[in-house]
Amino acid sequence: MNGLSRRDLLKISAATGLGSMGLPGVDPALAQQGEQLLVVMWGAAWIEVSRKIVDAYVAKTGDKVAWELHAGGAMAIVAKVKPAWPRVNYNLISGWDPVFRAMIKEDWIEPVTLDEMPALKDIPPVFFQKNDKGQLMSVPLSTAGAFWGYRTDLVDKPIESIEQLLEPRFKGKLCVPFPVNLTGLLMLTLAMQRGGNERNIEPGWQFLKELAERGQIGRVINNNSEFINAMSSGETSVAFFNIGAWTQVRKQFPVKIMSKIKDNKGFLFNEGFAVIKQSDPKKVAAAKRLANHFATPEINEQYNWPLGEGPTNPKSKANPDIADVFYKPDELAQYAYIADFEFMASQVDSWAKRWEQEIAPLIRRS
Amino acid sequence: MIVSGLEATVQQPRLSAFQWALLAPGAVLLVVLLVAPIALMAVVSFRPFIAGRVGSGAGWTVRNYTELIEPAYAFYFYDTLRIGFIVSAIALLLATPLAWQAARTKRRAMRVSILGLLIGLLFMSLVARLYAIQMTWGSNGPLAFFGTLIGIPARSAGYAAIQVAIGLLHFVVPMAAIILIGTFQNINPKLEEAAASLGAPRWRVALTITLPLAVPGLLSAFMISFAMCISNFVVPLILGRGIVLFTTNLMYVRFSDVANFPSGAAIGIIMFALAGFVVYALAGFVRWLAPAEARP
Repeated sequence: MNGLSRRDLLKISAATGLGSMGLPGVDPALAQQGEQLLVVMWGAAWIEVSRKIVDAYVAKTGDKVAWELHAGGAMAIVAKVKPAWPRVNYNLISGWDPVFRAMIKEDWIEPVTLDEMPALKDIPPVFFQKNDKGQLMSVPLSTAGAFWGYRTDLVDKPIESIEQLLEPRFKGKLCVPFPVNLTGLLMLTLAMQRGGNERNIEPGWQFLKELAERGQIGRVINNNSEFINAMSSGETSVAFFNIGAWTQVRKQFPVKIMSKIKDNKGFLFNEGFAVIKQSDPKKVAAAKRLANHFATPEINEQYNWPLGEGPTNPKSKANPDIADVFYKPDELAQYAYIADFEFMASQVDSWAKRWEQEIAPLIRRS
Repeated sequence: MIVSGLEATVQQPRLSAFQWALLAPGAVLLVVLLVAPIALMAVVSFRPFIAGRVGSGAGWTVRNYTELIEPAYAFYFYDTLRIGFIVSAIALLLATPLAWQAARTKRRAMRVSILGLLIGLLFMSLVARLYAIQMTWGSNGPLAFFGTLIGIPARSAGYAAIQVAIGLLHFVVPMAAIILIGTFQNINPKLEEAAASLGAPRWRVALTITLPLAVPGLLSAFMISFAMCISNFVVPLILGRGIVLFTTNLMYVRFSDVANFPSGAAIGIIMFALAGFVVYALAGFVRWLAPAEARP
């Protein structure tokens, strides 16, 4: 073998002090700590881009990062942590707003401060999840959303309203998340279509029953991979799901994401990291270092670009491919909606049971 | 004296201290790994769940069981048991000739090929096989027309159930066949030869000699297949398209997605009791059917 590998180069640059200039968000004084971290991340594009980012970080800091993937929706990690708490090895858990709310309630998250994580100073305060004391409890990395969309190569004419999904041409072609997934945003979008909201969800159930009775629902998914498979194989052609998963489908197939429809809304939320409480302060510090690294302008851009999600750091550039999906400031009020996830999280148990009792049997018989 | 003699003949042999010592590690493992978790699950199933929180709350309730009285849940239990029963029966039909051939053939290459196939199937990743089934038999796969041929559209729930059945067969046929090879090897071939020498045609030898003697093995293979089917999670998860749901899938949602441990535990306990009842009833029925000499 001739020449130097990338890792060798990074080691040499770290040893000579040159590397500290090239790795954002890492305080040289904190480097070479050599802490072992366990980070929970989503699969598919999320783990791919995270590994790339962390490879350089590991070589620079000496910290080691092991990955564990979310199994199913991100909320599943909460159920996994509960029986083991406080003897859990997780240092960072990727999640989104409702997952952070659940973990804050259980008092599992370490508060973060702008002093110890300087990259967070750039991020708008509204993106953070906070506890009752007003402390920052999440590290927002992405602005994401959940939208209706469809593959234009499989749908004969454009969809203007989701009311059209009742038409016979969509029989067996709808892909929807199980109501627990996305903390029930499917129920909310259907309810809002018929004049309801989080606290008046009944119109959504009626709409869903109509879809199920007519045999429109061809697949019920639980995670990104199932969604990407269902939409990429052409098994289904219309769906409601998160922008990250839509982006992966859009890389291969023509897709129209209905983020700006007149009689419904697109749903916005934030994804990011939660720093998990640990008895060893060095581990906590290392976890915060890594999370801070992801929040720096350069890395935040690098992280969100392939995911098709919006960076939370205003100094980062967004992928131009998602410009048509997200909103300009004057469009927010008309097209976007930020759900009351805390209330919805308290409802998902009853919604899941109602789905099993009323909707799943209809789909099964259709 | 006569009475005490009778008592002596029916008295069970007592285990020695050495035998107890040999049994102890297994018994402790059984208690720690099986009895204790199920007992804990039974306790949790009577705990209340607080919406929006994780796990179980304090106090006691039977609500986790009463809410399962809904007819919709009866359908999930029925569907799981029904598909498990049908798949296990088909698995026996497919596995029996394979096993019989492997046990009786004089051609070594044939025996090695069959055993290699069965063991290879056991070692090959089930998830890889399930995605292969999905690509081949799925609604856009090259064999999707099969559904249309039998009047079940490829995008329908019925077709998803067929895919689940195919996936489960991949899972249980090798196991059933391997169990049955031992069964057929243990049947003395001289019994079959004797029947044949008395003029019985091969089909009659199979039906009146081999099959009755194989009943205990067939029952074991069926029950293991049935248990593997109804407790399966990954096959309906991947091939059921979220439409065909086994009770294991319902449990997973409760434990994992909603963090309602008590409700998930209640489903688990009911399934445990139901499966135990079905297996016990089935074993009794087959014992009643089987000839005395074939009974275990």
